[in-house]
Amino acid sequence: MHFAGDRGPEERVHEEMESDILRFVHQLRRLRFIVALALCLPVLVYAQDTSDAENHAGHVPVISGGIGYIHNVDGGVPTLEPQITPVLLVPFGSHVLLESRTEFFGFFQRENLTSGPFTGKVLKNVDYAQLDWLANSHVMVVAGKYVLPFGLYNERLVPFWIRNLQDAPIDANIGVLTSGAGDGIMLRGVAQQTPKYTVQYTAYFSARSSINQLQAARTAGGDTSIYLTHPRLEIGTSYQRFLQDREVNNVAAYVSWQPPTTSLDLKAEYDYTHTGNGYWLETAYRFEKFQIPPFLRRVQAVGRMQQFFALNGGGNALPRVNTQQFDFGLNYYFRDNLRLVSSYGRSFSSQQDANIWNAGVTYRFTLPLWPERKK
Amino acid sequence: MKRYIAALSLLFVLLLGGLGAAALQQDSSPTRNDQKPTTTSKNNGQTQEVTGEEVFQANCSRCHLPPMSIPQRVTGTIIMHMRVRARLSRQDEQLLLKYMAP
Repeated sequence: MHFAGDRGPEERVHEEMESDILRFVHQLRRLRFIVALALCLPVLVYAQDTSDAENHAGHVPVISGGIGYIHNVDGGVPTLEPQITPVLLVPFGSHVLLESRTEFFGFFQRENLTSGPFTGKVLKNVDYAQLDWLANSHVMVVAGKYVLPFGLYNERLVPFWIRNLQDAPIDANIGVLTSGAGDGIMLRGVAQQTPKYTVQYTAYFSARSSINQLQAARTAGGDTSIYLTHPRLEIGTSYQRFLQDREVNNVAAYVSWQPPTTSLDLKAEYDYTHTGNGYWLETAYRFEKFQIPPFLRRVQAVGRMQQFFALNGGGNALPRVNTQQFDFGLNYYFRDNLRLVSSYGRSFSSQQDANIWNAGVTYRFTLPLWPERKK
Repeated sequence: MKRYIAALSLLFVLLLGGLGAAALQQDSSPTRNDQKPTTTSKNNGQTQEVTGEEVFQANCSRCHLPPMSIPQRVTGTIIMHMRVRARLSRQDEQLLLKYMAP
């Protein structure tokens, strides 16, 4: 006879696992119903929606996202990184949108890092799963799991089919603990818009969660930026208060500039947290308007420099010593959604100097989930 | 240190190259199509017209390479998604719809 108190640790772990699995299966059953409902409802709404006479844009569910493969060599250690990131978009009329992005990321390294066969695994992460209500120009309400709107990189440049350089900046982990996402409510929109400038804002509160694929920290914060229309210059700042364990303030300031008459793209960001601060400055230029052979006009050159300064011992997903890095990249665009990417970087720190190479391909896809309505 | 100076120089060259090209340039970016949906907004008594292409250049092209190949039947959904991501106004959304799915 066994009493509860007599159970060994292995038995207890097995029982907990069984109960977790049962709970997960139960949740899946519920989700199956929700997913089916979510896919059916927009079709019903779409059928009733009066078509906009001024355009032919359709509002059907979509799977968009990116497929990519990157061969990375960091300090002599090669890593194969296949990845696919589907983005599911399900509109309910023209004011409510259900959207989610899930990342499937392969990470394969040689057994002994520099020798032996490649081994590894595919990791999965739900980046966001949110319901948006596009109330009006001034307010859009987002509920669910959302990407923490902190700084320029985390808000806009994380998808690998968008960013110019595949390696994230050193200070990209500032303001996104613990999972890069928040669980809760976010308000965002346009505070004021004139022909000369636009002021945008975001405010959010995230609850602490340890649920699988919904991990988030208790945080509150916001972001605001002003975009000057004619020089195409954006200046913004983000603030976040991390409200669990040790309460800390995180701050970011950023600039984005695309001069109107050229293909230059300049972005820069400064981030500060308790364990360090740093900045990155990136310029990218496409040769599309140069008098050169047409195939060369599809080339984009990218340069980035960055410095990170460790504070209070560093850590918390940040380097423990001061680090500097520069990167230089060349991308080739076959089409707007298909490109070859390549880059070389060199990082300097008191621990190690290293060369970082990247080469690969990225492709952005868009697949309608519903056939076109016959006219 | 020398390497760092080299990196800085590289960035400077890219920046200056871009500015130089801007100075030499005569024309603005190519037009996607002939239809230019516009909206009129007033500012200090002056009336200005904003086109869908300008809205695209000002917002979308900060991250995406124009022109974008998106099927018309999903344009509404994609622009709803981007309206949330890029914090666009309702007015900009309407102009983009007319521009990308005329």
